[in-house]
Amino acid sequence: MPTNHLAAPDGAAFALEVTGVSKSFGEARVLDSVDFDLRWGEVHALLGENGAGKSTLMNILTGIYAADAGQIHLNGAPVPVRSPADAMALGIGMVHQHFKLILPFTVRENLRLAAGSTGDDWTAIDAKISEVLEKTGLDVSLDVPVGTLSVAERQRTEILKVLLLGARILILDEPTAVLTDHEAERLLALMRDLVGSGHAVVFITHKLREVMAVGDRVSTLRKGRMVLRGKAVADVTSADLSIAMIGAEQAAVDARPARPLTQPILEIENLSVLSGRIKAVKDANLTIHAGEILGLAGVGGNGQRELAEAVMGLTPATGRIRLHGDPIEQATVAERRALGLRYIPADRASDALSPDNSVADNLAVTAVRTGKLGQRLVAPRRILSHARKLIAVFDIAGVTAGGRRPIRLLSGGNAQKSVLARELDTESRLIIAHSPTRGLDVAACRYVHDQLIEATDRGCGVLLISEDLEEILALSDHIHVISRGSLSTTPDARPAREDIGELMLGHA
Amino acid sequence: MLDRITLERRAGSGPLRSTLTYAAAIGVALALSLGVMVAAGVPTGALFEELIVQVFLSEAGLARTLTMATPMILAALAAALCLRLKFWNIGIEGQLLMGAILATTVALYDIGGPLRLPLMLIASALGGALWIALPAILRIRFAVSEVIVTLLSTNIAFLFLQHLLFGPFGDTMHNFPTSPVFDNAEKLPRFGFGDVHLGLVIALTAVLVVALVTHRMRFGFAARFAGDNPRAAQAMGFDTARVMLVSILVGGAMAGLAGGVIVAGTEHRLTQAVGLQMTFNGIIIAALARNLPLLIPIVSFFIAGLAVASQSLKVFYGVSEGIVLIIQGIILLTLVTFQFATTYRVTIAAARPA
Amino acid sequence: MIEFATAWLGSLPGFMTPLLLASLGLLFCERAGVLNLGVEGVMALSAMTSAMVVLAGYSAWPAMALGAVAGALISLPFMMAVVVFRAPQIPAGLALVAVGLGASQAIGRDAAHKPFAGLQPLPWPEAFADLPVVGRLLFEQDGIVLLALVIAIIAAWGLFRTRYGLRLRAVGEDPATADAAGVDVQFYQFAAVLIGSLLIGLAGAYLSVGGSQIWTEGMVAGRGWIALALVVFAQWSPVRAIFGAVLFGGAEALIPRLQALGLELPVYFLSMTPYVLTIAVLLVISFSTRAKQAEPGFLGRAYIRQDR
Repeated sequence: MPTNHLAAPDGAAFALEVTGVSKSFGEARVLDSVDFDLRWGEVHALLGENGAGKSTLMNILTGIYAADAGQIHLNGAPVPVRSPADAMALGIGMVHQHFKLILPFTVRENLRLAAGSTGDDWTAIDAKISEVLEKTGLDVSLDVPVGTLSVAERQRTEILKVLLLGARILILDEPTAVLTDHEAERLLALMRDLVGSGHAVVFITHKLREVMAVGDRVSTLRKGRMVLRGKAVADVTSADLSIAMIGAEQAAVDARPARPLTQPILEIENLSVLSGRIKAVKDANLTIHAGEILGLAGVGGNGQRELAEAVMGLTPATGRIRLHGDPIEQATVAERRALGLRYIPADRASDALSPDNSVADNLAVTAVRTGKLGQRLVAPRRILSHARKLIAVFDIAGVTAGGRRPIRLLSGGNAQKSVLARELDTESRLIIAHSPTRGLDVAACRYVHDQLIEATDRGCGVLLISEDLEEILALSDHIHVISRGSLSTTPDARPAREDIGELMLGHA
Repeated sequence: MLDRITLERRAGSGPLRSTLTYAAAIGVALALSLGVMVAAGVPTGALFEELIVQVFLSEAGLARTLTMATPMILAALAAALCLRLKFWNIGIEGQLLMGAILATTVALYDIGGPLRLPLMLIASALGGALWIALPAILRIRFAVSEVIVTLLSTNIAFLFLQHLLFGPFGDTMHNFPTSPVFDNAEKLPRFGFGDVHLGLVIALTAVLVVALVTHRMRFGFAARFAGDNPRAAQAMGFDTARVMLVSILVGGAMAGLAGGVIVAGTEHRLTQAVGLQMTFNGIIIAALARNLPLLIPIVSFFIAGLAVASQSLKVFYGVSEGIVLIIQGIILLTLVTFQFATTYRVTIAAARPA
Repeated sequence: MIEFATAWLGSLPGFMTPLLLASLGLLFCERAGVLNLGVEGVMALSAMTSAMVVLAGYSAWPAMALGAVAGALISLPFMMAVVVFRAPQIPAGLALVAVGLGASQAIGRDAAHKPFAGLQPLPWPEAFADLPVVGRLLFEQDGIVLLALVIAIIAAWGLFRTRYGLRLRAVGEDPATADAAGVDVQFYQFAAVLIGSLLIGLAGAYLSVGGSQIWTEGMVAGRGWIALALVVFAQWSPVRAIFGAVLFGGAEALIPRLQALGLELPVYFLSMTPYVLTIAVLLVISFSTRAKQAEPGFLGRAYIRQDR
């Protein structure tokens, strides 16, 4: 290991310095000539919305992606980071949002695997594990399969792993998103301890409060550009950061005017969903009325998907579900759809579209299934004209050959519009929209929001499930929060963000 | 410093790239195959004569090729219908044998009077569907890998065939393990062009029906969506398990029908060799035709030509039948290897200075 | 009855050994995430190769070794296709079956049906083999039987107790994480398929040189496919593979014994039992969630770094 890189030599201003880094995936430019620097002994917070390019930048720093352009300097000297192994040898370690742990392996096996690249034998590695555990006070059980551990325990395993590998620069990618408040506090304290002992930490988050609490300096990415670079946290206000992060034009969102509630469309009583052996949804109750958007806020993975799939009939559940007053627990997906239930899943590529089939077929498929485009024979002409209409109405761009080419060739935003176009047909009565704007640009977001509102104008009810609080606040008539499978209601129709935040983490 | 090679998945492959890749794969597979033949002792000068003239351009050869292609078309449909639903049917031979056995049963026991011939064909389709039902249900209901089960089902079917040929179906006239020859009423009519028989029309009709259903009917939509993305198809309201089961059973029925067509059209009796290599043939044809029903007859024609040529190579140059298997393996392996060019993009980035 | 048991147990290792070796070989491939359907073809080629070596006048052990090497050589194009070019593994494996079966037919035509002296039992004192029940089981076996058991133990140790095994398992379980840990995914897959095909080749060689002492076309007779099921049954554990091989081999060994008893059983139905048993075992196994979880997480899929 090139230890000379790890010491901070005199004269080198920065532990890590990145200049002019750009990266594109296909057509999409994810990073546009980004500069970033990090000092030894600091927590440098990196802010940005989903899709701003934070993870991509860090993946470049850790050798997972190759940058299209740009330079990385360590202690003032240019270094090649071609692979995760390169990064690790340079002392750069990352704790990903999705943990890089092998679930059937025990904690110790995972650590041995990760540390094995340094060539140490297992006795030496085990000794080092004990040493790091002792030094940091991390609390991890070593000989259980990672798959049986809680999220916080897995995260501690990740941090332990990175430290074990000799990382002096730690990159934590939204580490608190999956933690309870108490766990998050512990983690923030651990970060301070680490920089106290000479490490440098890049702390990726979109929670302003945490930046203020733990950060020394802060940088902000928006749409692939560094809009705020290395400002001392003491010199900025939350308002500055908020504007830098989401842009001035978006900082103030107009909440839509509340509307009177009419008759209920969807009523859910004591709905529970088992996922494996754990209850993913616990005794959920909610009612959605005609013309109402009910926002369901919550950190991802708290039972949102299971709830949506249970209502659609895609996963077995207990409890009662009524649509227009009729019980539908026993109904098939097709029968529920016939009653006007529609679904825009979070992961549209895998749950809503058939990538190898054409754009036209994907747009027409539900109409074909119900026989609207022909009882026996379905003429391609009718499919294409059906598709052409939707493509025009929903302004789906990038469609070639009249929609005869596979839909996987469309961009994310246009693929999402295709799902909307199909699901928001005139017979829809209740729409479950799960993270409908994830990964979309501002214009596409607005378009999706307008379409949902338009649907409610027709008398549709909407269950809007989203991790994006702004979106929930802007669109919802009422807001529920889901945490660990339990639903809680906010007392007011328009609760304060902090209240929702507390509910999201299950502490209210 | 070594240059850095990275792979990226392509979002899609344009028609030009796809066509060029396909052509290159065929070219390489052909070159390798010719090499194998030459290595096996076929004189280079005879290759054109044996592989083109004798198989496609002479009247007798063309008739043999068309006759050979008939069951291959159905076997390829059996592979393609299942593959569309991501179900690997590696037991086409077994379904074909069960089809042939049931058709022979109808013939030998004179069931159905004047309707015997159509009844034989129906029985053969049923036999194939029956034989694929177990692997289909095990896969759909219990998530048991169909790869092993379809294969082992073939072994069971073959042993059953042997049991019949050495027992109840055995021809008492002589000692070969074959059934007695069928009556004339149990034979598919021939067109007076070699052995080409009504089975070819049946096979082509099956292709048209499958193409029509796949691209023009609601069930075809369901199958295409359930095959490409079952989760999404389910959310769209399709009953994916049922769609899968029906498609696979129809696939099995096609293989069974291939057996019926062989015994009633070509062999006129049941033998041990009726299903020989039909699994490989079916899968290779389906792969070359990219599961598109309308391309299957064309590809079948060429693969049948290869099979016919190998028979005469065996007679005239003593080339082993194993050569055909080797060539089939080469074609399949080359084809899937060349998919690399349409699936991935290779970028070689220059190393940054250290 | 004792006579029956002695004969049955005595013949069991001969049936068990090729299944064990083949499934161990396959187990290596699958633990590294490579689904190798080619077993049947590789075994066929190796059985033919080693038989030809013996017929050419060499002794049994070098013939076995060459059989194993032939298995590795014929697997090379498959390895290139799936490891380097990320070809879909199922059709690539089927292609390997075709090439292996075809090559064994084409090359071995003149070697078929010629009996030869293959492996001989280990030279225990003769009295040992006359012991009731276990005599022939323990003292009338050749060295490969022992070797196969030793290989199973070494495989278990190697996979679960060494860092190479840990990395190999990581590659099959979660190549992205292995890659992040600095493991060369392609190298380990290559190594796994190489070791695997050597063992599968050895299994094939044992069929002709060890078991039958003759080579005939089609002598593998579906054992390659049974090995695939056996690995599932063994939950990808080498030690459990021993039990699986005893079970499947035992069932197979029963067939000639029952025939020898002179029972009036329809011979072809009797021959179906290994296949029927295999399907039944797969069905029963499918009810075990533990067995399902044992399957390597990335089995049969293609990994590229971008997916990480």
